Amino acid sequence: MSVETNNNIKSMIGLSALESVYDPEIGLNVVDLGLIYKMNFDEEGKMLHCTMTLTTEFCPMGESITENVKNALQATYPDYSIDLQLTFDPAWNYTMISEEGRSFLGR
Amino acid sequence: MFPGQAGSDLTKTTSYKVVLPFYVYAAFSFLVSAVLLFLSSPAFLNHYFQPHILAITHLMTLGWGTMIILGASHQLVPVFIEGRLYSNTLGYTSFVLAAIGIPLLVYGFYVFNMGEPSKWGGRFVVLAILAYLINLGITISRSKKENIHALFVFTSMVWLFLTALLGLALVYNFTTNLLPRDSVHYLPLHVHAGLIGWFLLLIIGVASRLIPMFLISKYHNVRLLKWIYFLINGALIFYVLEFYFIRNTEYLLLSWLALFSGILLFMYYCYSAYRQRIRKQVDEPMKISLLSVFMILLPAIFLLITIIMISVFARENTAISLSYGFLILFGWITAIILGMTFKTLPFIVWNRVYHNRSRTGKTPNPKDLFNTSVFRIMSIFYLTGLVVFVAGCLTGILIFIKAGSALILISSILYVYNVMKVLTHKPAIA
Repeated sequence: MSVETNNNIKSMIGLSALESVYDPEIGLNVVDLGLIYKMNFDEEGKMLHCTMTLTTEFCPMGESITENVKNALQATYPDYSIDLQLTFDPAWNYTMISEEGRSFLGR
Repeated sequence: MFPGQAGSDLTKTTSYKVVLPFYVYAAFSFLVSAVLLFLSSPAFLNHYFQPHILAITHLMTLGWGTMIILGASHQLVPVFIEGRLYSNTLGYTSFVLAAIGIPLLVYGFYVFNMGEPSKWGGRFVVLAILAYLINLGITISRSKKENIHALFVFTSMVWLFLTALLGLALVYNFTTNLLPRDSVHYLPLHVHAGLIGWFLLLIIGVASRLIPMFLISKYHNVRLLKWIYFLINGALIFYVLEFYFIRNTEYLLLSWLALFSGILLFMYYCYSAYRQRIRKQVDEPMKISLLSVFMILLPAIFLLITIIMISVFARENTAISLSYGFLILFGWITAIILGMTFKTLPFIVWNRVYHNRSRTGKTPNPKDLFNTSVFRIMSIFYLTGLVVFVAGCLTGILIFIKAGSALILISSILYVYNVMKVLTHKPAIA
C-alpha cells in the first residue's frame, strides 16, 4: 500500500527510519506491514503529520508501536514536531502487507 | 476519521498488574497438580469419585485452567471487542477471592472434609466468578458491534457461574439434604457444564480469534462459528433436559452428535485458518496449540464409548471414564494452555519492559523472553507422559501411571521455569 505524502523525498527518509520499528509479534516492520497511511510535512509550522493504523484497534502492542514510531520520526526530523494520528478507517487488512513483507513471512 | 491520538487511551490495554498474578497462580497450580498426580497414582486404578482425584481435578480445573483463562481473558476480551476492561479493581477482587477459595476447596476434597474449609472455598470461588462475570459482562456489553468471539466468552462465563453454583450446592449437599438426591448423582451435570459450557465454549471463542491472528491468516468465518455455537450449546442444553426430564440414556447420543459436529466444525475452522495463513513458519507454541485442537477428538470418542456402555450395559467402565477426564484436563486443556501461555505472556511482559523504549538499541522479540529449547523438551515430556499415563489407566498397570505422571511432573517443572524466566526478564539495553 502506498503512503500518501506532500513531500516524496522527506517521506522516503521518514519511512526508511520507520523500517527499524517492528511489530514485535510478527517480526515485520511497520512500513512493510502497511501500517503507515500518510506522512505530510508542514514546513511553515515545522510539523510532521503522520497517520498510521494498528493491526487491531486495541492491539496489546499498540502503545509500544506508536511510541516507537514517534521516537523514530523525531530522531530523523529533530526540527519538526511530530503529530502522530491513529486511524482505523480504513481498517488494516492482510492485503496491505508489501511484497517484501509477504516474502519475509514466507509467502 | 481519527478516533484518537497515538499514546492516548486508545492504545491503553489492561494493566499487566491485573493479568500476571493469574498466570503465576496457574503455573504453580499446574506444578502442585502434577505433584499430587504423581503421589496419588494408585488412586487411578479405582473409581474416579475419590478424595485425591477430586482434589486434583479441582486444582486442575480451577487453579490451572480457570485461573489462566481468567487472567488471559482480562487482557484479550478488550482486544476482541476493541474496548477497555470495565474495572481493574474487579479483576484484582476476582483474583484474590479465587486465590483464597481454591486451596480451601482442594484441601477439603483432599482430606474429604466437606465441612467449613470446602464450604468457604466454594463460597470464595463463586464470588470470584461472580466478580469476573460482572466485570467481563459489562466490558462485553459496551462493545460497539456484534462480536461472535465475545458471545462465546460471555456464554461460557454464564456456564462457569452455573457450574460453580451447582458445585457449591453439591458441597452443601454432603452435609445437608439440599438436593433431592446425593451429590454423586449430580456430578455428571456439574462436570459437563464446566467442561463443555465453560472450557470448550471459551476455548473455541478465544482460539478462533487467536489462531488466525497468530498465523496471520486471512480466514475468518462467522457463519461457521455461529453453527458451532448453536451446536455446542444445543448439545449441552439437551443434555441438561435429558438429565432432569427425559431420563433416557439413548437420547444422550443426540447430544453427543451435536457436540461432536460442533467439535469437527471447529477443527475444520482451525485447519482452514492454517491453510490460508500468510506466515509460513509455525512456531513451537503454535504447534502445540494446533495439536491441542485435534486432541479434543480422543475424549470425545471416549465419551461416546461411555454413553454406549451406559445405554447397553447400564454401567460405565471406570478406566474409560478416568481416561476421558484425564484426556480433557491434562490433555486438551493443558496442551492449549502450554502453547498459548507462550503466545500471550511474553507479550504482556515485553510490553511492560519495553513499551516506552525507542528502537535506538536492540530489543529482544517477545519470543526471545522464554527458552525455546526448554519449551521443546517440556512438550516432549508432556506428550509422552500423557500417552503413557492413559495407557496405564486403560490397562490398569500402575508402573505406566507412575511413569506417565513423573513425565508430566517434569514437564510442569519446565513450564514453571519458562514462565518464571519470562516474568523475571530484565531489559538487556540501557
